[in-house]
Amino acid sequence: RGGDIRVTMGTAPFDSRFPNQNQTRNCWQNYLDFHRCEKAMAAKGADAAPCQWYYRVYKSLCPSEWVTTWDEYREEGTFPGKI
Amino acid sequence: MAHQAHSYHMVDPSPWPILGAAAALLTTSGLAVWFHHHSTQLLTLGLLSMLLIMLQWWRDIVRESTFQGHHTPTVQKGLRYGMILFITSEAFFFLGFFWAFFHSSLAPTPELGGQWPPTGVNPLNPLEVPLLNTAILLASGVTVTWAHHSITESNQKQAIHALTLTILLGLYFTALQATEYYEAPFSIADGIYGSTFFVATGFHGLHVIIGSSFLSICLLRLAKFHFTPHHHFGFEAAAWYWHFVDIIWLFLYTTIYWWGS
Repeated sequence: RGGDIRVTMGTAPFDSRFPNQNQTRNCWQNYLDFHRCEKAMAAKGADAAPCQWYYRVYKSLCPSEWVTTWDEYREEGTFPGKI
Repeated sequence: MAHQAHSYHMVDPSPWPILGAAAALLTTSGLAVWFHHHSTQLLTLGLLSMLLIMLQWWRDIVRESTFQGHHTPTVQKGLRYGMILFITSEAFFFLGFFWAFFHSSLAPTPELGGQWPPTGVNPLNPLEVPLLNTAILLASGVTVTWAHHSITESNQKQAIHALTLTILLGLYFTALQATEYYEAPFSIADGIYGSTFFVATGFHGLHVIIGSSFLSICLLRLAKFHFTPHHHFGFEAAAWYWHFVDIIWLFLYTTIYWWGS
């Protein structure tokens, strides 16, 4: 028995809004919700800490290429989603 | 003198079927050549020969039936089955395009902004020209039924009026739809919205044109007294086809134009 290194790992919990194998919408919804949350908190001048949940979920679920592409679209103003 | 001991029509040898197949080959390969090599020669040849063969084949059928009396009730029954089966196959044809529409619109992808109509697409107002088009086709369904009743009631004058009105309504629909296509703020190249919209409504428009043409031939034959109150299947087939076209429009209108906006 070697050294027993315990590492806690986790991922996004089950979301009953997206029960099926195709989790695209789960990723998309959380990406949107994070950025909407950020925008809304900034508009009210409030702390954006609660938004971190959505951040961690989409970071967990979304393919990184999608996130990069969507971040670029937001940068250019061509992001098709409503934020 | 030999007589047949059955009520079927053993058709005399005819060149039209095989020539029609050849025309179909020219047309389909012409379409491929147009797509890949930017030339319309073969396609034009194909469509032209298709038109000529259709005219001559159907002219021959009118000769065999109206002028030579070969269309017994048995033969007519077969033609009825044939037309019903054909229209059924057309229904399945449109079903495919409706499937495509619902596949894309019920679960819009992130690329579309997760919404339908997609981000950036301004759909046509269903309460403007599309609603008028709906009224036009519904009215034409009434007039074609009026024409049918006039034929069965031996009212030649009214039959001609009603059928003419039906055709005019069909042409009015086509003209309005053409201007809609021209004025639309989106094109077939505008993502899956453009594709589903124009392919579904485009094939429908083609069927309106085909239906109007069929009805026009019927008008010509009506004026030449080809139809009797009890035997006018050509007209009935055209009327069935026309009602089918109307029904397809109703589905298009309620799903793509109305729900899809």
